[in-house]
Amino acid sequence: MIDFTSTPIILTMILGAVGVIIPVISNARKEKGSSLYGGMAFAALIAAITFVGYQIASKHVTPSAIFSKNVLVDDTFGSFFAIAMLIVAIMTTVGSFNYMRGRANPAVYYSLILLSSIGMVLIAYSTDLVMLFVAWELMSIPTYVLAGFMKKDPSSNEAALKYFLFGALASGIIIYGISIAYGLTGSTNIGQVITGFSKLGPDMMPLALLAVAMFIAGFGFKIGLVPFHMWLPDTYEGAPPTISALLAAGTKKAGFAAALRVIIMGAIALDLNWAFALAIIAIVTMTVGNLAAIMQKNLTRMLAYSSISHAGYILIGLSIAPFSQIGLQASLFHILNHAVMKASAFIAVAGIITTLSVSHIDKIKGLGKRMPITSLGLVISLLALAGVPPLNGFWSKLMLFGAAINAGSMVSWGPYLAVAGVLNSALSLAYYGWIIRKMYFEEGESEKRVKEPKSVIAIMIFSIIFIVGIGVYPDPVIEFAKSAVPTLTNVVTIH
Amino acid sequence: MATGSFEFGLSATALNAWAIWILPFVAAVIIPGVAKFSKRATGGVAVAFALASAISATTLLPLALGNNEIHNQIPWISSIGLKAGILADPLAALMSNVVAWVSFLIFVYSTGYMKGDKDITRFWFWMAFFVGSMQLIVLSDNFLQLFFGWEGVGLASYALVGFWYRDKKKDHVGIEGRTVLGLVDYYSPTHSGIKAFIMTKVGDVMMLAGMFLIFAFAGTFGFRELIENTNWATTMSSQHLLIPAAVLLFGGAIGKSAQFPLNEWLLEAMTGPTAVSALIHAATMVKAGVFLVARLAPLFFALAAIGINMDQFFEVVAWVGAITAFLLATQGMVHPEIKKVLAYSTGSQIGYMMMALGIAGLSRQFVDGYTAGFFHLISHAMFKASLFMAAGSLLHIVGSRFMTDMGGLRRHMKKTYAFMWAAGLGLMGAPFITTGFWSKDAIFAAVYQSANTWALPIFVLALITAVMTTFYTTRMIGMVFFGNKSKHVEEMEKEGYHIHEASPSMWIPYGILAVLTIGIGVIGLAFEHQLHDIFTQYLASAFGIKSGIGNVAMESQSALGGFLEGVNPVALISSLSAFAIGFALGYIFYIGRFADPVKFVNSNIFFYAIHKFFLNRWYLNALIYWAFVVAPLYFARGIYRYFENFVMEGFNLVPEKTMMGGARIMQATQTGISQSYLYIFGAGILIVVLLLLI
Repeated sequence: MIDFTSTPIILTMILGAVGVIIPVISNARKEKGSSLYGGMAFAALIAAITFVGYQIASKHVTPSAIFSKNVLVDDTFGSFFAIAMLIVAIMTTVGSFNYMRGRANPAVYYSLILLSSIGMVLIAYSTDLVMLFVAWELMSIPTYVLAGFMKKDPSSNEAALKYFLFGALASGIIIYGISIAYGLTGSTNIGQVITGFSKLGPDMMPLALLAVAMFIAGFGFKIGLVPFHMWLPDTYEGAPPTISALLAAGTKKAGFAAALRVIIMGAIALDLNWAFALAIIAIVTMTVGNLAAIMQKNLTRMLAYSSISHAGYILIGLSIAPFSQIGLQASLFHILNHAVMKASAFIAVAGIITTLSVSHIDKIKGLGKRMPITSLGLVISLLALAGVPPLNGFWSKLMLFGAAINAGSMVSWGPYLAVAGVLNSALSLAYYGWIIRKMYFEEGESEKRVKEPKSVIAIMIFSIIFIVGIGVYPDPVIEFAKSAVPTLTNVVTIH
Repeated sequence: MATGSFEFGLSATALNAWAIWILPFVAAVIIPGVAKFSKRATGGVAVAFALASAISATTLLPLALGNNEIHNQIPWISSIGLKAGILADPLAALMSNVVAWVSFLIFVYSTGYMKGDKDITRFWFWMAFFVGSMQLIVLSDNFLQLFFGWEGVGLASYALVGFWYRDKKKDHVGIEGRTVLGLVDYYSPTHSGIKAFIMTKVGDVMMLAGMFLIFAFAGTFGFRELIENTNWATTMSSQHLLIPAAVLLFGGAIGKSAQFPLNEWLLEAMTGPTAVSALIHAATMVKAGVFLVARLAPLFFALAAIGINMDQFFEVVAWVGAITAFLLATQGMVHPEIKKVLAYSTGSQIGYMMMALGIAGLSRQFVDGYTAGFFHLISHAMFKASLFMAAGSLLHIVGSRFMTDMGGLRRHMKKTYAFMWAAGLGLMGAPFITTGFWSKDAIFAAVYQSANTWALPIFVLALITAVMTTFYTTRMIGMVFFGNKSKHVEEMEKEGYHIHEASPSMWIPYGILAVLTIGIGVIGLAFEHQLHDIFTQYLASAFGIKSGIGNVAMESQSALGGFLEGVNPVALISSLSAFAIGFALGYIFYIGRFADPVKFVNSNIFFYAIHKFFLNRWYLNALIYWAFVVAPLYFARGIYRYFENFVMEGFNLVPEKTMMGGARIMQATQTGISQSYLYIFGAGILIVVLLLLI
């Protein structure tokens, strides 16, 4: 039986229908204006997020299988990610209104964003490896196209190519992992794979281990874990900045959704010393990301490295998941926060690029006077990324590091994660502070105020309210993250 | 609490306490809106809100006198059991009054000082924000909320120190072209803002670590909860974590209060408008560190009752204070910039307060040292705010920050001259008539009587510092007001500029504080006794600290009884002679001008070397820059150059940039960088497998 009223199905139908229809209309209309397509995409996404909200509010979220084959599930974990992804997709769409004005093929552009968001949402709802892989590809393929959307711009092309190359490799690796898992357990259902793994004999262990390693590498590519991160700065820098927002804030988080569903559970079943492995990757990832970011002169590239370092922070929560109750909650909370902060930072940069055609850090001197609202939004996002109280980033970092200290009673290396995280946050202030200094404390060539794009202003106002609002009163979101975690661990009980 | 009242939930009595910190924030929020209608009105709004906040603070005074407290909590983040709260006990009540009234006067002064500045809106926004954050620190009932204020103060100081972000020459500090160890000793406002932010951040990180270390064991951030149940301390102490945690917390205070070794930011913070310097030095920022120690010291001291020895912590506090007091006083004697001299003096005086609080924990009479430290905080707030505002007037009139550009001003600026004498005498500790004398004497007495092993060396350091303090204050007044007019002033007068008194909105505020310094000074001993009584009751009821439960077994040596109780003859005579020596030296060189200080210094290689050593700030600033700025920048560049470029992209010989030609993209992505990327991807999988196998 298919439950047609369940969240993933409805979301797929809303977003899919509009996504398919937009290019059709544009063919029939033969008109150049892009605002219609943007508006349609926006409306579809708003409808989708409203529906998710309604489902949660009316407690229709039940972790039971939707199809007779157990491939999708309608649980709070999925809903949490769906909301995060849809917020990012909405921010990207609105941020693109201005960016896409006068550029070619707007219909396809918005349609691809919708299709990609279906993929992102479905990943979070998947309980079957094959379903998860299909969703993964549904998310990835449109973004390959989007990264190279400026077909006359060589760096956009290079970005897309590199991204595709690594994406293909990562997909291959994931498929490889899935096939090993299937070979060992005879099932592609995540729950059954995990139960199967825990019953394996010692001679089959190395293969299961290989499968987990393949998942870490495959999903780690999208997340941007070191050493699978090299494509990321080039791609984020070359892609249209609005798409970088989608990649950094959206697809990266979908990677975490997959990692949470698959890697953690699989590794728990295998009783590997995986937590320690993840902890080391976490520390290396955040340190490399921050150190490299310090020397960057290009805003998007700097934000790209910053998003690498944030993958490291989020990974802290995953690595201490078995030792601290708060670990996964903190990760989820930070995922949502980072999605908004990073999307808003990238869209601010997109606004700067489209208005002034600059992205070099020396060229944004005195920007605080020229584009006051965009600058303010960027500053708030950067301070939130750095974890300055009283902004939302402070609370999620606090929970992450607090959880790591908490885990110290179980594993001796727990507190070191917190120390590394705190030091890295302090380090990251150096380059965030640098941008702020350029914008506000250095004199630019001109002080004349330029007209800021309305869509960017809207995004900035939304994100300032979100960041400060959650910073002052984080309680509801923490509660939401808390309720999302147990349904995930139901798949297999942590032992 | 014997007489305290504990309340939960909002109530009418607690609203005044909440208002103290909320009102300045409200002002900060509405000021940009007010500026839309009238830029000039922003100052009025800020002053009005500061006054309202100060009046709310005054309503807390009866609490302090009656040893009552308001402890009011509202739910904040229920999911992790966190409450926001106000803790207005006598300590917080007194502190918030000092902060509120001094900053109110500074606000009044600023309306004159900042008149006509085109960024006035930004100025008032951050000033109000600054005071609000400080009051949040003072009135918080838990660490985390305090930390919010703590960061707010840091942010505001960053914005205000770098307020004149156009980096004009006149807004710099230091002497242009002068180098120390190859580094320029000349700083722009924006540079100084970042320096202040980063140096205090070092302390903040330590504090955060200390906070969470304690939280990990106690499960609470609340100050009252920590004292009510002290099991956490026993556990931490048994794992040898308590002292490190306490010292880490003290690290936060070291950063904020500019104590050794994080003292160097304070000097460059002089690039801000003088009103900001006054606020930083007298009411907010640096006092936050002292307040934190005052908040924590009784808590740690009370642990003695359950058999935990915290002597090491208090020794660290006392020594850091003593070293800072001495170190900065030496440098204050030689610098030519008036604001820098005052800045050195602040660091040095804060050192005295830390010293007193530290020594309190090492002595049998905890309350003596505690009162002395806090009394000095109050008197310092008054005379230092007054001195800074007066110095601001001088800068305003003369247009130079160098004392060598002033001279002979006493006939032209009679009021400023008189007030600066009054406040300056407070800083010197002129006997019997100034608050500074009584508070400093109380510190000397506390140190002398503590009978700790370290009491004597600390006492000697404190005494030498007192001589130097008197000397540099006399030097400052002498250089500014006595002698002949400098070339700079003469040139100004030649051009038709008339040296005149500052406007009333400026001299009235510092006049009030200068008069208070003397006025309270005359009844100083009675004031001290009142304070002593308040703290005796407070410490006994809130922490169970009664006189004589300390770690030192010896009896107090106080020899004088009756009204003079608490005055130690040895301390009294020492501080009198320190004043006499310092004043005599200063008088000879700078007021009477019987000898030329420049010739004197150059006459002898020893004096010359010492002078240079002090002027170069003991080379500490330069060393810090070499170690933490120059070297890491090389390191970070190296990381980027070698790690990212060489390790990550080192497999291709052709540099990345040349491959970016549009036509060659296919070639570039297939045969160039991506190969090495893919190679690393593959290697990464191997590494993950290996990590999983560990």
